[in-house]
Amino acid sequence: MKMFITGATGFVGQAVTASAMESGLNVRAVVRPASNAAGLKKWFDHSTFETAKVDLRDRKALVTALEGVDVVVHLAATKAGDFYSQFAGTVVATENLLLAMAEANVKNLVGVSTFSVYEYLQTKSNTVIDESAETVADIAGRDEYTETKLIQEDLYRTFGEVEGNSVVILRPGMIFGAGELWHSLLGSPLGPRFLRIGSSSTLPMTYVENCADAIVAAGERLMEQNSTVNGEVINIVDDNLPSQQEYAEMVEAVVETPKTVKVPWAVVKTVAGGMKLANKKLVGGRAKFPGIVVPDRLHARFKPLRYTNTKAKRLLGWKPAFTIAEAIKRSAEIERQQAEMTELSSDPSDA
Amino acid sequence: MPDNAKPRRMTRPLKAAVVGSGGISQEHLSFLSGKTVVAGDVSDRVKLAAVCDLSPAAAKYGATKFGAEASYTDMTKMLEQASPDVVHILTPPQSHVALVTEALASGAHVICEKPITPTSEELRKLQAVADEYDRHLLESHNYRFNSGVVAIKEMIDDGDLGDVREVEIRVTLPVTDPGGRFGDPNMPSPIHKMPAGVIHDFTTHLSYLMLHLTGDATFTKVGASWNNHSESPIFRYDNLDAIMIGSSATGPVHGRLRFESDAAPDGFTIVVRGTRGYAETDLFQPYLRAVIPRTGGGQLSPIANHIANGLELVKSGVTNVGKKIMQKGPYHGLHQMLDDTYAALVDGNEMPVTPQQMLRASMLVDQLLAEESRV
Repeated sequence: MKMFITGATGFVGQAVTASAMESGLNVRAVVRPASNAAGLKKWFDHSTFETAKVDLRDRKALVTALEGVDVVVHLAATKAGDFYSQFAGTVVATENLLLAMAEANVKNLVGVSTFSVYEYLQTKSNTVIDESAETVADIAGRDEYTETKLIQEDLYRTFGEVEGNSVVILRPGMIFGAGELWHSLLGSPLGPRFLRIGSSSTLPMTYVENCADAIVAAGERLMEQNSTVNGEVINIVDDNLPSQQEYAEMVEAVVETPKTVKVPWAVVKTVAGGMKLANKKLVGGRAKFPGIVVPDRLHARFKPLRYTNTKAKRLLGWKPAFTIAEAIKRSAEIERQQAEMTELSSDPSDA
Repeated sequence: MPDNAKPRRMTRPLKAAVVGSGGISQEHLSFLSGKTVVAGDVSDRVKLAAVCDLSPAAAKYGATKFGAEASYTDMTKMLEQASPDVVHILTPPQSHVALVTEALASGAHVICEKPITPTSEELRKLQAVADEYDRHLLESHNYRFNSGVVAIKEMIDDGDLGDVREVEIRVTLPVTDPGGRFGDPNMPSPIHKMPAGVIHDFTTHLSYLMLHLTGDATFTKVGASWNNHSESPIFRYDNLDAIMIGSSATGPVHGRLRFESDAAPDGFTIVVRGTRGYAETDLFQPYLRAVIPRTGGGQLSPIANHIANGLELVKSGVTNVGKKIMQKGPYHGLHQMLDDTYAALVDGNEMPVTPQQMLRASMLVDQLLAEESRV
């Protein structure tokens, strides 16, 4: 089985490539023409690994690159920049990929989405967010990433409606790992410090290697006859999810973290709610504030909710290989090794 | 008018179509859907009939978000089915000539993003097509309509600065940033293929503003240094430093145009010096500073200038914070230009950007790029 992986040089893409290779699959990793593929170097000599140097905005080149592919894992997305940059990098790129797949007669797609597409502001605290949860009710309050990922999911579904096509949509929670341990579900930078918002909310997280295993498993299940994952949406979170405080303490124990200022969730929630009300009453909702005081975005990051991975385990036969504690220690060790490598390579006496 | 022309009687509100759904489309579509602070509700003059883009998702998104009646991926089909009175061409510059010609031939007026053509020769030909079909053709000279430029022009026209002797325009933007739309080496922007490369996206602005603020000066000596300081292989140039000397109706004029990509922060500064005083503004972080003769005569004028400019800076600081929160950016000039354009179309008045102004700006760009101007 040949798996075509977009975004293969990225944080998640490298882990998915590794998982697919270790599962014995043939991998064709998409590397943008000017991208640094150093993270994939360990696979270069493997006969089951190859790269496709192509940009997803180049549809003609994509058709050629997709020849002989059985299943596509689509990870590439643009998370930074203004709305139109993200639209081009996420929506138009996905549109190109799907059109090229149709032309190249590739019919199986693992579309990787995000937990961001769920509705949080209107959802009551402590609700279980599973695959049946509502998606965003009012996009106006959410960010560009959420808006473009929602449009991307629509494209996935439209592709899946074509006779003979198979699609599974995965929605991972916050993906953490080496270099991505201290993340935005803990708070926001505030000058030289970090504003820690809340402490008891459960974190919907998945360790990058665990998540990669789930993504590869989804591709394998999709290729089975009478696949049980075709047409499904599956959330990916790890087992025994920690609270913000528990996670922060585990990370602080193994790596250097920013100095923090703690603010209770109730305080930030109330301030943001007041600002939204004032915005609506005084200027018809036209004012734009930083995301940290926009209730729709704030609730998406810090609201106390509950999560489940029952469907992922049932349909994918997946089980996270690493506990959260193990994943943190493993990530810290990788960070330490990477720092040592960087130090060695920059030491002139070593030349 | 050629035999195959399709003259139409235009009735209010005019039907508009937007072709191209890149970042600038948001500004045109916001105006057409009545969502701008400058123009507000424009439904008595224009309604958005269609959005067209090669990407079905982009066309559908633009149409849905801004309330167009339909979306298309084929401009020919859109022109036939939606029959727009005005077409906004917002595609990459290399596609302008073909798309503008087709839109004009369908009987529509055309508003086109800059640079409308790579050279003035091509602009002359395109204007001839517009004349042939008796349609208006307008290139976006949006920054001319920004409040800071309007205020300085009023000061010039009122004689506050005396006779203009020097205009300096400086744009600073990090175009070489690999994460940006110009600096991405994976699939370089089509603008890199223009004669001035990426800077061609800004030379129109620099040129029309220079001409506008110097009273349409004629520059007989031009020295332009085009550089690629970053040495990026995808860039022709990332830096321009040009000096021009000429004359206007009121005497000699010196001009200085600069584009920089490795300075910070982003800026679009304009300084106009005249025989009585000077005025300066920044279109990206707006303020207006003018040192001119004020009430009180020679003795008190310096003090009056200090007080007036201090107050102006405080006012600008407060206003800019408000604008940031209320999302009123530097594109308010574009909204004003579109508002004036539709008013002119509806009332049958002269367009706010005339063919002569477009041609002169394009000729100045040619002059900057000419071999004999290189230093």
